[in-house]
Amino acid sequence: MNPEPTSLLQGTLDLLILKSLATGEMHGLGISRRIQQITQGTFVVKPGSLFPALHRMQDEGWISSFWGDSENNRRAKYYRLTKPGRKQLEVETERWGRISWAIARALQMP
Amino acid sequence: MSLSLKLRSFLRNLFFSHRVDADLEYEVHSHHNLLIEENIRAGMSPEEAQRAARMELGGIEQVKEEVRDSRMGNWLHSAFFDFRYGVRQLRKNPGFTAVAVLTLALGIGATTAIFSVVDAVILRPLPYRSPDRLVLVKERIPKVTPDPIPVCAPDVLHFQHENHSFISLAAFRGDQFDLAGGTEPRRVHVNRTNANLFSLLGAQPILGRVFTPDEDQPTVAILSYGLWQHEFAGAPGIVGRSVSLNRQIYTVIGVLPATFIFPLPGMDQGDAADLFIPIAFTPEELADEGDNFNYSLVGRLTPGVALAPANADLQLIAHRIQETYPPEYRSHVILGAVALPLRDTVIGKSRTLLLLLFGAVAFVFLICCINVANLLLTRSTDRQKEMAVRLSLGASRGRLLRQLAAESMLLTFIGAALGLAFASWSINALLGLMPPDIPLIHGVGLNPAVLGFTLGLAVIVGLLFGIVPAFASSRTNVADSLKEGGRGTTQSPQLHRLRGALVVVEVTLAMVLLVGAGLLLRSFQRILETQPGFHPEQVLTASLSLREPHYKEDSDIQNFYERLLQRLQNLPGVPIAGASSDLPLQAGWNHLFTPEGYQPPPGASTNLCNHSVILGPYLQAIGAPLLRGRYFTDQDNSSSTHVLIVSDSLARRYWPNQDPIGKRLKWGPEASKDPWLTVVGVVGDVKQSSLDVETSPHTYESFWQNTTPSLNVALRTSNDPASMASALRSSVWSIDPQLAVAQIQSMDQVISKSTTPRRFSLFLLAGFASLALILSAIGIYGVIAYSVVRRVHEMGIRIALGAQRRDVMRLVISQGMLLLVLGMVIGTLGALAMTRALGSFLYGVRPTDPVTFVAVVVILAGVAFLACYIPARRATRVDPMIALRYE
Repeated sequence: MNPEPTSLLQGTLDLLILKSLATGEMHGLGISRRIQQITQGTFVVKPGSLFPALHRMQDEGWISSFWGDSENNRRAKYYRLTKPGRKQLEVETERWGRISWAIARALQMP
Repeated sequence: MSLSLKLRSFLRNLFFSHRVDADLEYEVHSHHNLLIEENIRAGMSPEEAQRAARMELGGIEQVKEEVRDSRMGNWLHSAFFDFRYGVRQLRKNPGFTAVAVLTLALGIGATTAIFSVVDAVILRPLPYRSPDRLVLVKERIPKVTPDPIPVCAPDVLHFQHENHSFISLAAFRGDQFDLAGGTEPRRVHVNRTNANLFSLLGAQPILGRVFTPDEDQPTVAILSYGLWQHEFAGAPGIVGRSVSLNRQIYTVIGVLPATFIFPLPGMDQGDAADLFIPIAFTPEELADEGDNFNYSLVGRLTPGVALAPANADLQLIAHRIQETYPPEYRSHVILGAVALPLRDTVIGKSRTLLLLLFGAVAFVFLICCINVANLLLTRSTDRQKEMAVRLSLGASRGRLLRQLAAESMLLTFIGAALGLAFASWSINALLGLMPPDIPLIHGVGLNPAVLGFTLGLAVIVGLLFGIVPAFASSRTNVADSLKEGGRGTTQSPQLHRLRGALVVVEVTLAMVLLVGAGLLLRSFQRILETQPGFHPEQVLTASLSLREPHYKEDSDIQNFYERLLQRLQNLPGVPIAGASSDLPLQAGWNHLFTPEGYQPPPGASTNLCNHSVILGPYLQAIGAPLLRGRYFTDQDNSSSTHVLIVSDSLARRYWPNQDPIGKRLKWGPEASKDPWLTVVGVVGDVKQSSLDVETSPHTYESFWQNTTPSLNVALRTSNDPASMASALRSSVWSIDPQLAVAQIQSMDQVISKSTTPRRFSLFLLAGFASLALILSAIGIYGVIAYSVVRRVHEMGIRIALGAQRRDVMRLVISQGMLLLVLGMVIGTLGALAMTRALGSFLYGVRPTDPVTFVAVVVILAGVAFLACYIPARRATRVDPMIALRYE
């Protein structure tokens, strides 16, 4: 609800979604579980945040979607990275690296 | 994101929203199913799995809403839905919608109408090129009159040739000529002007040309657009044609555009000219030194020259002119000159009136807004439950605010649209009532500037209406609102106080308006009570002007009028017929005179009087009573003693406690060589300039002893004066078929015209005050009635516990009366402070007139009492059983 943490979170969420899609196409629940797995449970992405992010990123042109069958033959909407998406992942990764380095430095200061 | 992509997604979201929506729905469902499957695989029972899945998902609709909110184009999309929902809501409450829309339409319409006049008259620049550098040059003779006066002919040339401050100065003089050649002769407004007037004002002819500087012979004429259209049917070949003016042939050399209107009120030269001819001063006019201050001078300041140095320049020239006067005249007349910004002289008088009316209509507008705001507050309280439900179903508060704002916007815009229709109707009505001395009213209308004003008004009001009540309802506490069961909610005390405060403001505004209107009404009443000094009923008047060269000699003029008088006196239905150089209430000239043997007390002002030349039994015809001596007779002619009839006030002032008959006076100062005139009669004072101006001394002279070419005929008729108009015309035309009979009107019309400006302001202010009264009564009624509905339960308990109906009634009424009294106290203070602005509009009434204040208090209290009484009665009828059963 509060705008400030959301905007920080939003960038983070975008990065995590891009990262989880880097290995291949995935449906919404898959992305959610993947993020949970790679962050070792630090982030649990609820549908309420996941879907808006997916739609927004699709509007940005970073990911594309198609309807496919799940492993259990259920219809599900799948997402995959586009070319601009891969580019964005690089940019975001690089940016995140800088931020976390800077924050870590800042916190180490006596 | 690239622009094209942005646009594409924007359009997709906007236009394919149904497909996008269905897709999203499907996706969320599939997500839900995947979750259930996952949970079952983890070993839950199907029921448990479903429950857990729903918990994690957190509501399909919420997810969808979140996605929608994050999408592009969403804002516009939801705004569209807000409006659609708004329309539905308004249609669901037709009563509320009708009252709110009509109130807004009234407020916005009235404000727009008055603004359109303010805009055309005050806000817009004068319709000439760079009008802010234009000035009117006037002369001053402080000893005679404190106000600047027009310029005399020889001085025009001095100012034109000797100044160092103006690019050019153009003289002009309004006159009325008889235009012949059509079906019947017609009096038209002619302006004699210098050739440079048109370039100075930036007027380009649409046909032909304007005067050349050396065009000194008055044989060429330029038509105004209006005359060209009406008298010559807009004939394209008009240039080069001849027209007959005062029986002289003029050649039309050009036509001016419709936008060129000159002179305007305030320029001292009468109505806008129908045609222009060269000023061509005659040698006699140029010899008129220090006399006949009749010409106006308009000038354009040289770039870089300010008003003050220009004034000093003019003053210097005036001083040099005075030096040339003969010594005995020089001591009497101290000549000055001044340049006044043209704009101030034109709109100066109207500005106060129009700003006053705009202030009044702003009050009405505020009252309308308050009523609608109160309605919206009521409604938002009623809708707390709806809001609570929507909040609990996951709507964000921002979203609700937006929704409410959209509804108010919609309401305001419908009101504004209706208001524009109302405005366009009332502008026409307004123009019909408008007194002729308000300039530039041809520009009044629903033009883009006025429409912009209305739009701005609607947006501001719509936003305010959206925000205030929206704020009240979006503070809804979900749990409380829902808890209270079917009956909804209590009204928060703040909200209740807010509504009370609004009513107090409303009463205050209404009070101020009512006092203002009351004072004007009392003034008007006083004026109508004023004795005009004559009997205006059943008198027909008309104006005749015999002009050179056809009427060159006095004998020609005397011949004409002698024959006319004979014919008029023989008309059946005309017992008395006479004529005079001036009619009552049409301000004549002031003449300087010296009574014989009169010793002026120290500090006395110059002896000035109105003077009329009369023919036949004119005084008897208008019914001015003879107090002493005699009326003129046929024996008072050129060969007998030069005699005079004076007014009562003149006789009293100059010969108090003496018999004025036989006393003598002469024109001009003590040293003047004019002959003495002997007083033979005294008549009652006749209002000469206006009903609300103190009568000034007046003298009458016989036509046979001072032949005057322009006279106003006055016929006392036995029947309706209007029925004699054609007989009057044919009498004139049987003697001279080319003479125009102008301004045929009854004396009652003359009087009514003299009160037009007052009628206009009174009518509008009274209209606004009545509206304010009705609207604030509605406002009080609304608030009290609503509080009764809210308190039905309480009333039921009170009655059940033995309260008398009287007690209940007192409870309700006292609640309304408290607001009323508060409003009236503040209103009285406000009125005392503000009615001072009415000063110059009042006559015979002080701005603090206690009668007016008491009357307004009584009326306002009465109406407000009624507004409280109706709901109070309803409260006493509450059946305690029914009221309590609600529980």
